[in-house]
Amino acid sequence: MMSDNGYYGQYGGSYIPEILYTSQQQVQQAFDEARNDPAFIQALEQQWQQYSGRPTPLTFCANLTEHFGGAQIYLKREDLNHSGAHKMNNVIGQGLLVKRMGKKRVIAETGAGQHGIATALVAARLGLECTIYMGAKDVARQYPNVFWMRQLGATVIPVTTGSQTLRDALDEALRDWSGSYADSHYLIGTSCGCAPFPEMVSFFQSVIGREVRQQSQAQFGALPDRLYACVGGGSNACGLFLPFMDEAQVEKVGVEAGGKGMALGEHSIRLSHDLGQPGIAQGFASIFLQDNQGQLQETHSIAAGLDYVGVSPIIAHLAEQGQLRMTYASDQDVVDACTLLLRKEGIIPALESSHALAAAFREAGTLSPQQRIVINLSGRGDKDIFNVARAVQDAEFPQFLRSYLREYPDNLQLASDAGQGRAV
Amino acid sequence: MPTLSEFIRARSQALQTSERLPLLAMTHVIYGYPTVEASLAWMRRLLEQGIELLEVQFPFSDPVADGPTIVAACHRAVENQPQMQLCLQQLGQLQRDFPQSRILLMGYLNPFYRYGLTRLVQDAAAQGIAGLIIPDLPMERAGQFRRDCTDHGVEPIWLVTPATPAERLASIARQATGMLYCVSRSGVTGQKDGAQQALADYLSTIRQHTDAPLAVGFGIRRRVQVEALVGQADIAIVGSALLEAYNAGGQEAGLALLASLGII
Repeated sequence: MMSDNGYYGQYGGSYIPEILYTSQQQVQQAFDEARNDPAFIQALEQQWQQYSGRPTPLTFCANLTEHFGGAQIYLKREDLNHSGAHKMNNVIGQGLLVKRMGKKRVIAETGAGQHGIATALVAARLGLECTIYMGAKDVARQYPNVFWMRQLGATVIPVTTGSQTLRDALDEALRDWSGSYADSHYLIGTSCGCAPFPEMVSFFQSVIGREVRQQSQAQFGALPDRLYACVGGGSNACGLFLPFMDEAQVEKVGVEAGGKGMALGEHSIRLSHDLGQPGIAQGFASIFLQDNQGQLQETHSIAAGLDYVGVSPIIAHLAEQGQLRMTYASDQDVVDACTLLLRKEGIIPALESSHALAAAFREAGTLSPQQRIVINLSGRGDKDIFNVARAVQDAEFPQFLRSYLREYPDNLQLASDAGQGRAV
Repeated sequence: MPTLSEFIRARSQALQTSERLPLLAMTHVIYGYPTVEASLAWMRRLLEQGIELLEVQFPFSDPVADGPTIVAACHRAVENQPQMQLCLQQLGQLQRDFPQSRILLMGYLNPFYRYGLTRLVQDAAAQGIAGLIIPDLPMERAGQFRRDCTDHGVEPIWLVTPATPAERLASIARQATGMLYCVSRSGVTGQKDGAQQALADYLSTIRQHTDAPLAVGFGIRRRVQVEALVGQADIAIVGSALLEAYNAGGQEAGLALLASLGII
């Protein structure tokens, strides 16, 4: 979706410190040139295919369909990307752009760690230095991802300021970029931030929806009736929805993190129920969870990747225009949906993606068997093993951890207890 | 009442014959840090010491252009739930109590946006606040804000940086009125001082495009840096270093720093 000079209705734009003006312009220009350069697109498609395994399948779920007795349920399998999430689509694109711009280093923020891992992977492959900012709370929740980022050669910096989650990581990444713009690219992981990032990330992610169009025609000779995607920053939703914006009859449903409850700080519901308010922060205008003085607020989700205070200006605009329907799923609904997919289809979904599942499962039974829904399974759930084990109250997991620790070298445990990486 | 630039020129003139370095001091204080009362007391103390320009930052949860010291203080200040309307009233009282100084309000866009930018300009003007500094509001998005500022007699203060392209720097400098905020080196606030040579070229380039007073900030923490500005700029901005001194030893340490810099 093309922006109007960086704007989507009243949202988007570029509200950044003056120090970043030149870098922002440079990214804008490089992206404008690259998107129109057949050689760049060819290289992009080649990397998507050879490195990430695209196209990802569109998987029909016969058991789930029978279980709900309504619409035919399909999953777009972004979990089968290299790195296990749709994040790879974007980092491959921006990674190639970094090489094109001749920069040597990438900076990224990450919530769940999926974008951090994807960035570290691509940085290793392209020979780029890599620094990842991650909220200290997210480091604690998703330590295995931190471990892999570091093994890949990335520097992971836990952000201990503010709410210690994605939004603080984003602030720190912007601060790094303010001092390092000459040789560094800020590789934003979602369709937020200053122009051209929302448009660029959506451009790279739109491969999801384009493939769904082709696969739908090939597999059932029609377009889907309804699409579901979880919405944190909004990149997997933009990727699935945008190629269908000309088809109003294809209903698009965005699913936010309902968390533990409706009180401020317990959820990350920005658009459904008008819990968020218009604001301008972190480089762009959108809807943010904030108080009456304009201070951004803390958020919660069982899924670190959805725990974001703002939302893509593209999603905010489309929701405002009624071109998307926004809903949400609670932490408990999400765990239930995750479990159901495991049992019925033998697929382990990320907790982020399980939000889309939860909303789709709520509605599938109300649709007719002639209708088809596509749920974006944006990531796989291996990374969530600790959180899911706790959520389903697995009795043997603590025993496993204890015996694991018993066999772990004592000297490293002491170092850990002294304050380094006490995450798991 | 003289305009901001007239005020700055008159005070600069007076300083030529004083024992102080001939630069105006612009000191930075975060409203609400560590408490609203303590921040107001610190502002009052600075004004009593004859600080010409007081830059008051209204805290924001996500201050992306600030370094770690100011970020930490902003987060602390936000916990005290600062209220914009009360802040403006209290700054107005300070301005009335210290008519020999000028108060500038600095802040990130979102709290101002929530308050209403037009309302902010009106209320700031009514309280006698001389200027507004909004680091994440680019000039090209500020049409209505600039009209409001002109209508109400508040100066919008723009920033330029060493990374600002020549053409853009010229354009911003030409449109500067009350003062131009010249970031002295790349990066966020509060980092250690870099090379001084480039600074002279940078300031002389800016000077070619504007007669507005030049304020230099980001990274001033030693007297030699202030001395290097004499003759090239009009105002030395002391932000992070002042906060660090305040954190270490309260108001007295802050004043001692300013004295060591030669600007009080």
